[in-house]
Amino acid sequence: MKPIKIALTKGRTEQQVIPLLEASGIDCSGLRSKGRRLIFDDDPRYEIILVKGPDVLTYLNSGSVQIGIVGSDVLDEQGNRQYAMLNLSVGKCRFVLASTEDFDPQQQRRKIIATKYPNITKRYFQSIGEDVEIIKIEGSVELAPLIGLADAIVDIVETGNTLKENNLHVYAKLQPVNTKLVVNRLALRQSQVPIKSLITSLQTADRQIKQFEMNGEWTR
Amino acid sequence: MQNKNLPNGTRDEFGPQAQIKETIQNKLLSGFKNRGFQKLTTPVIEYSDVFKPLNPDDYRPYQMLDEQGETLVLRPDLTLPVARVMSATGLNLPVKWYYGGDVFRLKKRLSGSYNQLSQAGIEIVGYEGVRAEWECLSVALSECQRLGIPNVTLQLSEAGFVDAVISQLAIPQPTRESLKQALYAKDLSDYNRLCQPLVETEFSEFLREWPWLFGSFDQVMEVVKTLPDNESLKRMIHDLTTTQQFVNNQFPNYRVTVDLSIPSPQVYYTGMVFRGFTEQSADYLFSGGRYDDLLTNFQQVKVPAVGLAFEIDALVQRVPVPESGPQTLIYFDDEQWPQAEQLLHKLGNATLCLTHNFEAAKRLAASTNSKLLDLTKRR
Repeated sequence: MKPIKIALTKGRTEQQVIPLLEASGIDCSGLRSKGRRLIFDDDPRYEIILVKGPDVLTYLNSGSVQIGIVGSDVLDEQGNRQYAMLNLSVGKCRFVLASTEDFDPQQQRRKIIATKYPNITKRYFQSIGEDVEIIKIEGSVELAPLIGLADAIVDIVETGNTLKENNLHVYAKLQPVNTKLVVNRLALRQSQVPIKSLITSLQTADRQIKQFEMNGEWTR
Repeated sequence: MQNKNLPNGTRDEFGPQAQIKETIQNKLLSGFKNRGFQKLTTPVIEYSDVFKPLNPDDYRPYQMLDEQGETLVLRPDLTLPVARVMSATGLNLPVKWYYGGDVFRLKKRLSGSYNQLSQAGIEIVGYEGVRAEWECLSVALSECQRLGIPNVTLQLSEAGFVDAVISQLAIPQPTRESLKQALYAKDLSDYNRLCQPLVETEFSEFLREWPWLFGSFDQVMEVVKTLPDNESLKRMIHDLTTTQQFVNNQFPNYRVTVDLSIPSPQVYYTGMVFRGFTEQSADYLFSGGRYDDLLTNFQQVKVPAVGLAFEIDALVQRVPVPESGPQTLIYFDDEQWPQAEQLLHKLGNATLCLTHNFEAAKRLAASTNSKLLDLTKRR
């Protein structure tokens, strides 16, 4: 049987998901000591490739990989037509509207918002009936209100430390972000049995990790 | 200047790929014709209103304005124009149409996908009852056979199934809607949460399996059996079962699966839906189904209709490339033109060499890996 190809978002998601994959019985030894490799087939049932978040969907939509593991931020921003089947209990964070202390959300002019996520930003302000000017930034979004490029930012916050260190405050909480397991629609039909068994073992491992975390807190 | 560049999402087609594509198109169209279907050709440009029933996310068209300021589109679909013709010309029913042509859909930029896709298909209009579906399926599978595509899986489904089950669940309407969306998106996390209030009901066993309710016909039917009795469900299941038996008898080499967890492909589908794919294909090879509501976009009266469309570009990827030896290059002088023509037709896979001397012909043969046949020596 041909291995199932999985596109895994490299970086933080990768680090957070590896323990979950291992708990589901997948050999991730290669990912643990990867060097410059990008393709991992230590477990003969799977071929894991490491790609950037937005590229997960490109590989998935073309059918080059059957499964993707990627943040819901990417899915929401790019628009997703494949099956986002599971929420994994790792990598939970949230979109927020943040700015400096002197920011006035009621200000009487069109706001300028800097973000890496123009579509999500647009949808949020549409939902509250506001029209804003959006500036797309590729990184270190926190700088924009500090340097005077924008009135506020829309960005992902996990712990809030980066915001605090830059004297930024949260003005509104937008949608939560979590890590999703996404399956190509046709691939699910072509490889129903192996994909179902992967999902079932991931669900079990996910529950166990959640329980362990809760027990860990109780015993502390 | 953009005179050397192609617009996004387009491509030129030449060489063996283009030839395979043409062969497939010709085989399909002649296959339809030989079954007594009538050819229907509609324009590439239509008013955008014709395509209103399509989901705009999947069928984003190229748009332009005509001289009156009306919005025109390059057709993103070939079925709705057939409905327009039916409704505008008041033809006597039943009719069987066939068509072939390109559809245009704007896809995400720079994603590697193409905006121009070739299709060929049939529409059977005016027949109620499952025999119209059976003719479509016979066409679908016999054409796959003729094209030499092995291991096709036929997937049957039913546009009304999900609503028929959901309407029986004792939950408020908004929850029903959310449950349906979670089922369609196969969002298991959300789906399981929404099913919580129903775990103690007679639907619990079915609901547990529903997102996975596709694949082997018998396994799916085992799960369907756990549902409480319902007349409309019974009819759907009866049609699916007899259709599966029909296909198994007629095409024992092709696998039949069923999927009862998916949405209807378009709002106008009213009955059985079918799709074909192989283990390797990245796209469905064909799709179709019953859409008795198709004409209601254009008129008040419903007309029974079943259709089927082949995705030619997906077929090209699956049809085996025929082995052809090197081409023969026929070298001749001006007086030998008639003999050269004769030989050309006799040989097949040959072409006239138009160089003025033999040395140039030899160089050409060497550079193109052709066999050189020198007619001037035969005098």
